[in-house]
This record gives sequence, C-alpha cells and structure tokens, in this order.
Amino acid sequence: MSRSAARGIAGGVLLLLIWEVLARGLSLPAYTLPAVSDILGAVWTHRVPLFSAGWLTAAEALAGYAIGCVAGIGIAVLLVLLPPLRGGLLPVMMAINSVPVAAYSPLVLLWFGIGVASKVVMVALAVGFTIFLSALAGFDRVDRRSADLMRSFGAGHLAILWRLRLPAAMPLIAAGMRVSTVRSLIVAIVTEMLGAYGGLGWIIYQAVVQIDFVQVWSAIVVASALSLSFFGLVGAVERRVIFWK
Amino acid sequence: MREVSKSFGTVQALRGFALSVQGGEFVTVVGPSGCGKSTLFNIVAGLDEPDDGGILRFKDRGCHARELLGRVSFMPQRDLLLPWRNVIDNAILANEIEGASRRDARARALAMLPEFGLAGFEKQYPHQLSGGMRQRVALMRTFLFERELMLLDEPFGALDALTRTMMQRWLLDVWQRHRRTILFITHDVDEAIFLGDRVLVMTARPGAVKLARQVDLPRPRTPDLVTAPEFVALKREILDAIEEEAMKSFIASTGA
Repeated sequence: MSRSAARGIAGGVLLLLIWEVLARGLSLPAYTLPAVSDILGAVWTHRVPLFSAGWLTAAEALAGYAIGCVAGIGIAVLLVLLPPLRGGLLPVMMAINSVPVAAYSPLVLLWFGIGVASKVVMVALAVGFTIFLSALAGFDRVDRRSADLMRSFGAGHLAILWRLRLPAAMPLIAAGMRVSTVRSLIVAIVTEMLGAYGGLGWIIYQAVVQIDFVQVWSAIVVASALSLSFFGLVGAVERRVIFWK
Repeated sequence: MREVSKSFGTVQALRGFALSVQGGEFVTVVGPSGCGKSTLFNIVAGLDEPDDGGILRFKDRGCHARELLGRVSFMPQRDLLLPWRNVIDNAILANEIEGASRRDARARALAMLPEFGLAGFEKQYPHQLSGGMRQRVALMRTFLFERELMLLDEPFGALDALTRTMMQRWLLDVWQRHRRTILFITHDVDEAIFLGDRVLVMTARPGAVKLARQVDLPRPRTPDLVTAPEFVALKREILDAIEEEAMKSFIASTGA
C-alpha cells in the first residue's frame, strides 16, 4: 500500500475516533449526532433491508450511468461529425444543463412514474451532460497539425475520429466518467427521496419521517461505501486505460 | 507547379511560385524564416488549396491540391506521434489508414527498425523515447507510406549534430536504393547542398524562387565533401542569396 493511501486511512480512522469520543463524551442526542458505534450497529442490525435497498439504488445508478455515458459520447461524436448541427444544438443543450438536474425531477417522476425508470432517466440526464461536455472539450482539444497529418495520409473524417479524436479525448472523457460515478449515486438517492418504492433514498426519507436518525446515518454509510467503491473502480480502470498520461 | 500564390487575409505567403520536380530527384529548399516554405508544403501535401490561378500538375496531369491528399508522403516538422500507440503502431499509421493489413504492416515495420536505429524499441511508447528517436519513428512512418513524392519539412531540425549527419547519410543511402522523389525543407545550407540534386533558395515573403542551383557533386557523397572547393563555392553563393533576403525581411519587419 502506498504511503498516501496509508495516511488517508489513518486520517479517516482518527476522524471516526474523534466523532465517537465527542458523541459519547458530550452525550449528544441521536438526532444531533449518533455515535459511530451505534451507526455501525444499526447497519449490522438492518443489514438485509439496507443491502437490498443499496442493491436497488446501485442498479439504478449503474443503468443510468451506462446510458448517460453512451448518450453523452454519442451526441458529442454526432456534433463533431456534423458541425452545422453543433451551432443549433449546443445552445439548447447548454440551456437545459444550466438548470440543476434535480429541478427536472418532478417532471421526470410524472412522466416515468415513481418506479425504477424515473431514477434511471434522472441519472442518465445528469451523467449524460457531464460526459457530453467533457467529450466535446476532448474532441476539440485535438492538435490541428495531427489532424492535417492524418488527412495527408488520405484519412477521412471517420478515420480521423476513430484513430485520433476519440483516443485524444479519452483522458477528458475518463475524468468526466470518474466524477460522474459519485454524481450518479447522488442523483439516484435524491430522486428516490422524492418518490420511490425502495432504495437508499427511500429509506432515508422514511427514517426522517419516523425520526430515526440512526437509520438515516446507516443508509448514508451504505451510500458512501457504494459511492466510494464505484469511484475507486472507475479510477482504477482509468489509470490502466489511459496509461500515457 | 506554376504561378502558385497563397494569401491568408492580407498576408501573402507565396507569390507566383514555380517549381518542377522530376521523378527520382532530390530537391532541397532553403530560405529565411517565414518565407512561406510551410505554406508551399501544405499545398503540395494537399492540405491547402492555392489561390485562384495557381496551376498544379502531378504526374503530367493538372489537379487540385486536395487530390494530392493520400498521394504524397508528408513529414511535418514535429513528430506528432500518437501517445497511445507504441513505436510499431505509430510507424504503420499511414498504412493502416490506407487499409493495409495490420499484421503485414507491422512485419514490414519490424524489419525496418534496425535501419532506423530503433531495434528493440518496438513496444515502447513515445513518452519513453528521446526526441531524436521520436523523430526517427516519424521518419519511418513517412518511409513506410510509399509514395512517389516525399515531403520532408526540416526532419532533422530537432536532432543533435552527430545524429543529424548520420541521418543525412542514411537518408541518401535509402534514397539511392529506392529512388524516391524528395522535396526537402531545411534551414541548414550545408544540409541542403549535401543532400540535394538541386537547391532552391526562396525569397522573403511573399515567397518565390530566388535562386535555383544544380548541385553537380558526385554521388555517393561522403562527409568530407563539405570541404571540397565546389561545395564551398556553392555554399558561398547560396549564403549570399539568403543573406540578401534575410536583410530584406528584417528591414521590412522593423519598418525601416
């Protein structure tokens, strides 16, 4: 394990210890700040419902994430291949994106119901915009001289896109994908809080209504664990694929 | 090509430029900086169209510059290697675009590596190579893309003096074996005379041909040639022409 990773873990453990000591020492009520040990105990007690809720949220986030990545890159490719389209479509896309995604959630819930579909759509929207913008920035960053060189070899637009633009844009696309991992879970949970049949957001919402703040925290713990592992996984893949950076 | 001009906005880079290169000939072009050499190359490579009235002929047929795309093997000043491709895959890029089978192209490139001083480096990536090695990979990519006309834009500019001399001799060697037609841009008058059958000196902007000299020095050429009296006389003449043009552009740019 690297030194920095060891330091990070040490820092996290220290923080949890301080938290535990403060919560116990000051006898803070659970609605202010429950002790770490209580939260972990609750996670263990409710492990079965928490696990299935986590699974549902993760599945929604992953499905939306996949759709968002494909759509984001796809639209960016389309705009690069058809420059006239870009002038018309880009301002519209920017206008839609300038409003926080959560603002669209009531509409999405109305159109797609409070089941899984609305969560997937919301995540796909949030992720799709991020990926679209980073992909477009990546495609634009290509060195003109490299494109000229490929043209002099007789390459057409598609060949230049495939052999030059797409790989050259990969570092930015991958950075967007890494950031979007966390975003996908946030959006899935927030949408669940607004209306759902299950999932971590739904558990949090129910627990708040029942004034069970230990339960809120236990759902947060599961959500963080999911989010961190997704982030770490995509980051690890990124380092392998984009080896030249 | 005749009467070729090219303007970018108000700046005229080339005016009435005329040049004809015979098959198998090695023509070198020298000129003061900013004299439109790169513009000339972009036109011959098919990347830029000349202004109206310019006449281009390729293999005895009139043509547009864009028809030259894919027919001229072009090497720009910078190596422009793709960082995600290893040495071999960078070298075969042009062949891949042509639609050649990767396996055949790789095999041919692998066989060429020792000639380019890159033996054993086939699996390395550009960020692991020195500047000189990267330049040789770029040169190899140009050679593998076998076209009747090769355009080399200061290919040895980034190399150290020793490597440079070796690469010049090596280039002559390869050229003599394959008899490809080469148009070669350089700053270096020694290099221009040492390599070329013919040396062109360009005027300051707008670029035109100031001076064209046949180099009647025997081949194969050896490094001690640079001290031969004919070489020195030719060099004197070319240096004078460049000096005159450089002064002109210097005076023009200082507004005197």
